[in-house]
This record gives sequence, structure tokens and C-alpha cells, in this order.
Amino acid sequence: MTVAVGRVTLEHPVVNGSGTLDALAAEAAGLHVAAELAAVVTKTVTPLPRAGNPPPRIAETPAGMLNSIGLANPGIDAFRSTVLPRMRALGRPLVVSIGGFAPNQYASLAAALRDEDGIVALELNVSCPNVESGCLSIGSDPNETRSVTARCAEAAGDLPVWVKLSPNVADVGVMARAAEEGGADALVAVNTLRGAAFDRASGAPLLGGPGGGLSGPAVRPVALSAVAACRAATSLPIVGSGGVGSGQDALAFLDAGASAVAVGTAAFREPLLARRVREELAGLLAAGAGRPSRAESRARSAQPSTAA
Amino acid sequence: VIAVVTRVEPVGPYWLVALERTFDHGEPGRFHMLRAVDGEAFLGRPLSALAVRSDEVEYLLDVRGPGLAALLRVGAAVDVQGPFGRGFDLGAAGDRPVLCAGGIGIAVMPWVAERLPQGRLVAGFRDRTAAAAAGLVPAARAEVVVEPRLVTAPLDAALDEASAVLACGPDPMLQAVAALCGARGVPCQVALEAPMACGYGACYGCAVQLDGRWQRLCIEGPVVDGRRLLAAPVAA
Repeated sequence: MTVAVGRVTLEHPVVNGSGTLDALAAEAAGLHVAAELAAVVTKTVTPLPRAGNPPPRIAETPAGMLNSIGLANPGIDAFRSTVLPRMRALGRPLVVSIGGFAPNQYASLAAALRDEDGIVALELNVSCPNVESGCLSIGSDPNETRSVTARCAEAAGDLPVWVKLSPNVADVGVMARAAEEGGADALVAVNTLRGAAFDRASGAPLLGGPGGGLSGPAVRPVALSAVAACRAATSLPIVGSGGVGSGQDALAFLDAGASAVAVGTAAFREPLLARRVREELAGLLAAGAGRPSRAESRARSAQPSTAA
Repeated sequence: VIAVVTRVEPVGPYWLVALERTFDHGEPGRFHMLRAVDGEAFLGRPLSALAVRSDEVEYLLDVRGPGLAALLRVGAAVDVQGPFGRGFDLGAAGDRPVLCAGGIGIAVMPWVAERLPQGRLVAGFRDRTAAAAAGLVPAARAEVVVEPRLVTAPLDAALDEASAVLACGPDPMLQAVAALCGARGVPCQVALEAPMACGYGACYGCAVQLDGRWQRLCIEGPVVDGRRLLAAPVAA
């Protein structure tokens, strides 16, 4: 089930979505999640430590949930000195998600990570809806997206740069093209869909932070549509993300044009979901006439012709 | 693991739900994520066990929404994840522990009381109907108050001869209990509650203020040293 996502070759098509797994905490809880993933995608790291948003940070909604975590993370210095060595010890390929509030912050993060061992790609989070400024405003503007991607691609040296796109734009294909023009190796589509909920009794917002992001099965059709739009707009390989909870769901993302999928919210309730998705997908691809070659040809055609 | 609901009984305004014991029940104060397979809730709900019987694990529920309501049916299939988190340090409770519960916080105490037969219960409830739940705790000695009396009143008196306090209840109560124990120099373990999507550190949803900063309750707790609630907030 090997798939190529640009210059990165994955053992199989199932990774985790950024911000939906602390692989180290899972191991400590006796859940060997990392071993089930073709690559472990980190929670977004920012230049400085962030405490995250005040609670409540999550609220269940029909067929999914809202979150407003606020990019809680230890900052790039502590990430490199403390987190990364332990992540490396998991023995899985790492994709490090980076986020900032101004274009130069992304480039400096890329430069800080380019020579670290064990990292197979950087993922630019230009699509977090839960912080006051920066992030999503970059991902909502094609010029900013192109420019940030280009600066990161340069700063990252040989490290491939993936761009995680937001569904909170009028035309995600425009952003996909901008990322491609900026030199992205791959797209990750999509981040959470902006959402809100209010307490029935008090009328107060159910989340404590400045924004909210919807995830889970509720967003799957939105994500599939975004993947199809990216497929039509660019030739970049796509990691599909949004409501994947089964091999059938994963297959739908491959049909929409993705080369791989990321699991997230559904893994909150089923920690080893990635294994089930991989096994079910393998069964479906083996059973479905034409489907394996279709998925594989997509993965092949998505590889840049200049790939080493 | 899937476990079937074997018993559902009202206890005052709460519900006792027993699951067949097909899973690792953990230790007092640790928790499971429970989700009715056929319910409309997408995510599990974090619950610490009330007691463990030879063939059942019991929970006490304060049902506020569809996630828990779906568990109130004998025969319902329940997806159980866990046990997760850190429970009570029963070895540190000493020879005169005080079990201090507020409202649905009583839900963790029966199992604690079974393991600490020398324990004394002080409990507070919103009314006499809810106070019926104190009867689930097999403590040799119990004082139960209802609002407007607060549990901190009998607790204050009980601290004179307490080796430790093990507390569970709403946040303002636990804050007051931690402050009181801190002032009196009595070791205090508090079992906190927070909304959780996962229970294993992945979602970052269960942030609580510990040592002055937001931390994940599923990793740090849900039972933590009461002194960790008392630190002043530190800038990130």
C-alpha cells in the first residue's frame, strides 16, 4: 500500500491530522498509535510557547465537535530540545506542523527544523481558525499563501513543504494553486470548518476561545469537495482530511483525488482507528475492480517529474 | 471494548448504571470514556467508576444530555475506552482519611471507601433528594449537609483529626477544599472534572488550571494534589 506524497514515500496511506494526537501521551497510556501511522504529524509548533485558549475548549455537536484549543504548544525551542528527541524515538517518519502569526515566523521555524533528523516534511498550518490573528488570514489570501510557502520552501532546504488548507475560503482551488506556485510539495485538505455553538440555558458561547473549528463526520462532504477542487486546480498530491472514520471514508477521499488520508476526530473515540482504516481500505482496494490502479496512478501522477 | 449495560437504577436525581465487567476497571479515581454504540453522541464521556463488583462495574451519572442519557438502557452496548489518567493515591491517605464529596462528586467515593475502611465521609448536596446518594458510600462515619450549608463546614471540623482529604465535586468546592486543607496543613487529593473528547492526551480539550497554567486533566489527573489548584496564574 506504499504511496508517494510528493517526495515523501509512505508505507501506507493513513496518517494523523495535526493537533489530533499526542503520540507520546498515547504511548504513555499504553496506546501504540504511532506504529499504526505511515507518518506521525505533530501538533502545530509556534515560535513561542502558547498556553492555549481558556476552557471550555471543546463542545460536541451533531456528528462531530467544535474545538478552540488555540495552538497550545511548548514553542520551537522546547519542541526541539525536549519533544522532538522523544518523537524521533518512536521510530516513525515525522511531519512537523508549523504555525505563526506573520510570514517571517513560518520561515524561521522552517529554518530551525531543516536539519533535524527524522523529519520527512513540514506542514504549514495557515488555516487555524481559533487564534486572534495571523494563521488563517494568511491561508485566506492567495498572495500571502504563495509568499509564505515560497519562503518556507527556501528556508526548509531539501525538506518537503506541505500546506494545510482551510475550508473557510470562497475557492480552495485558488489557495491550492497559490501553494503550488509557492513551491509546495503537497497539500493537506482540509483544516476545521469555522463553527460556533451556544448554551441552551444561558445563551453564552459554548467555547471559551475567540473562534471554533468543526470536525468529525459533519465536515466530510465539505472536505471531499475541497479535495476535489484542489485536484482540479493543481497536480500536487493531496492528503485528505475531514471526518475519516472508516476505510470506506478513506476510499472516498482517494476517489476525490487524495493520495493519502489523515484521521483525527474519530480517533478521539477510537485510538487505534488508523489501523482499522488502513485494513479496511486495503480490503476495499483489493476487492474493488479498477480501484487499486486508480489510486496508484493518482499517487504516481502526483509525483513531481523531477523527484529524486 | 464493548460492555453491555446490566442494571440501571435511580439514586435520587442521579442514575446508577452497571456494565458487565468485560474490561480493565482500573483504580479508584481513574476514568473510562463511555459511549453508547447506538446513541447519537459521537464522542465518549469521561466517567470514574463508583464501585467494582465481581461481574459488574458501576457508575453514577448526573444526566444532562444525550451522551449520558443513551447509557440508561439495560442491554445497551457501550464502547469502553481506558482506564485512563491518574487516580487517588490511597497509600498516601494515612490512617484517618476524610472523603469529601460535593453533588455528583459522590460518584467516586464508594470505591474509595471500600479501599479505605477507616475513612470518614463528609458530603454536601443541593437538596435532600440528591443527598440520598451519600448512602452508596460504605463509610463507618458520615456527615451530610444540604444547601445552604456547604461541605466545607463539616470538613473544617473533621480536619482536626484528618491524615488526608480525598475530595471530588464542583470546581468552586474543590478550590475551597484545597485552600482550607492548605491553610490547615492537611494533604489533599482532589478529583477534577473537565470535558474530554479522547481521554488519552490527544485532543487538548480538558484544560484545567494547575500550577498556574492550563494543563490537560487527562494526563495530570483527574486526581491531583490540591496544592496545584492554589498557584497563581503564570504568563504563558
